[in-house]
Amino acid sequence: VRTPVDDLLRELAPRVLGTLVRRHGQFEACEDAVQEALIAAARQWPADGIPDDPRAWLVAVAGRKLVDAWRSESARREREKTVFDLEPADTGTAADTDDTLDLLVLCCHPAVSPSSQLALTLRAVGGLTTGEIASAFLVPEATMAQRISRAKAAIKSAGARFGEVSTTELTERMAVVRQVLYLVFNEGYASSGGDRTQRTELTTEAIRLTRMLLAASTDLPQAIPETTGLLALMLLTDARRAARERAGELIPLAEQDRALWDAGRIAEGVALIERTLGTGAIGPYQVQAAIAAVHDEAPTDAATDWRQILALYEVLEGIAPGPVVTLNRAVALARVDGPRAGLALLGTLDDDARLEHSHRLDAVRAHLLELAGDLPAAREAYVRAARRAGSLPEQRYLAIRAAQLGE
Amino acid sequence: VKYMIMMFGDAASMGEVQSPEWIREMIGDMIAIDKDLTDSGELVFQAGLTDSSMAKTMRYADGGPVAVTDGPYAESKESLIGFWIVDVESDERLREIVGRIVKWSGVVEVRPLGEAPTDF
Repeated sequence: VRTPVDDLLRELAPRVLGTLVRRHGQFEACEDAVQEALIAAARQWPADGIPDDPRAWLVAVAGRKLVDAWRSESARREREKTVFDLEPADTGTAADTDDTLDLLVLCCHPAVSPSSQLALTLRAVGGLTTGEIASAFLVPEATMAQRISRAKAAIKSAGARFGEVSTTELTERMAVVRQVLYLVFNEGYASSGGDRTQRTELTTEAIRLTRMLLAASTDLPQAIPETTGLLALMLLTDARRAARERAGELIPLAEQDRALWDAGRIAEGVALIERTLGTGAIGPYQVQAAIAAVHDEAPTDAATDWRQILALYEVLEGIAPGPVVTLNRAVALARVDGPRAGLALLGTLDDDARLEHSHRLDAVRAHLLELAGDLPAAREAYVRAARRAGSLPEQRYLAIRAAQLGE
Repeated sequence: VKYMIMMFGDAASMGEVQSPEWIREMIGDMIAIDKDLTDSGELVFQAGLTDSSMAKTMRYADGGPVAVTDGPYAESKESLIGFWIVDVESDERLREIVGRIVKWSGVVEVRPLGEAPTDF
């Protein structure tokens, strides 16, 4: 269960790390020291009370951990000289520098593998402990610790320096940061097992970090529309969370109890995307958010504005074409022009190698065949899709659909 | 003692042979079993597998790259679809746990995990 101390620590984590790295360099060592300081605070603060200046406390403790680590290292190497002098923790103007952006860019460095980018971002910027990240990703803690330490080694050997990225490069790298945050979100949202609350943690963290990213992007105007689009997409998707599963069974959008949708998240997501569209270059996150907004604003499935959704999928296919976009467009087309029109569009994907190992083509085909009234063919397609489903909740959902058609 | 409980079957064809109610009840019970084993501290690890048609068999090839063929290693209608590793105090307790699983799968294979020698 998250406590106010946890929330405070996560909020302070990137600021403390930023201060240390600015002061001493060596991202890798500073990151370890901050993690130790966070763990110490999580142990002491609930019992002793939160210090008057929690940020200064963390900077001081992390600084000491850093000195300890370097002293033991230099002792091992039989070096005599002091590695550096620890400055007193100051809370002056320099401390207010927002290092979030630089930290995110470093954690999402191209030299680091995607799964490690996620883990390192959650730890260094999100302030989660290795144990928390490990349980969210359903791997042992030792495995996650190793993944994080390899990620840091990769950054070090790539020679990446903190805060030395130009504005142009920063804008480009934001695309990777957004992708990492969206992966964190999906890891939590499209869960395939594990404890529900641990997975929810990931969607909550992804939204919190995307808010931080947006707040830190004021000097990167070109990056703002897509980051806003991403935040809106996450909010509009997460708004349906309570309605999309019942007793371990997935509920498709059309059958969800819309009274369970989170009206606050929907209002915020809709406002964000409305004020963003047209302010800059259009991008895939903005379009997907606009589509999610049309769904979320419809009082019933029947009242959904499928024409607008179809038009938006056409826009999306124009800027970010791919088989999954075509699949979704086929569903929208089926709702506008009838299931046979949708099935004809699906036919264009039959030989697409990118869908060869995916269950999605058969799942969509089954759904459209069902709408068209061809129940035996629909049932066969549901069973084929169930065989290829990579997530067990989806596999079960597809098996239940097939079973229903057999009645 | 740690045991691996292995469940065999074909999850996708459930949709062809069982009713939606049966599948729903099975899902609810599987979730309850996992939760009970977690709460009792007996669950070490559990996982469900994707369909056996997703399997690839990989073989050592002398001097060359690994030889890969599509499909499972053992050709059989019923292949492994899920497993639990539990750490239980007694055979009686093991039978209790297994009793809840075989209600749905008919049969499971149970084997003790190899352990470290005790007198070295």
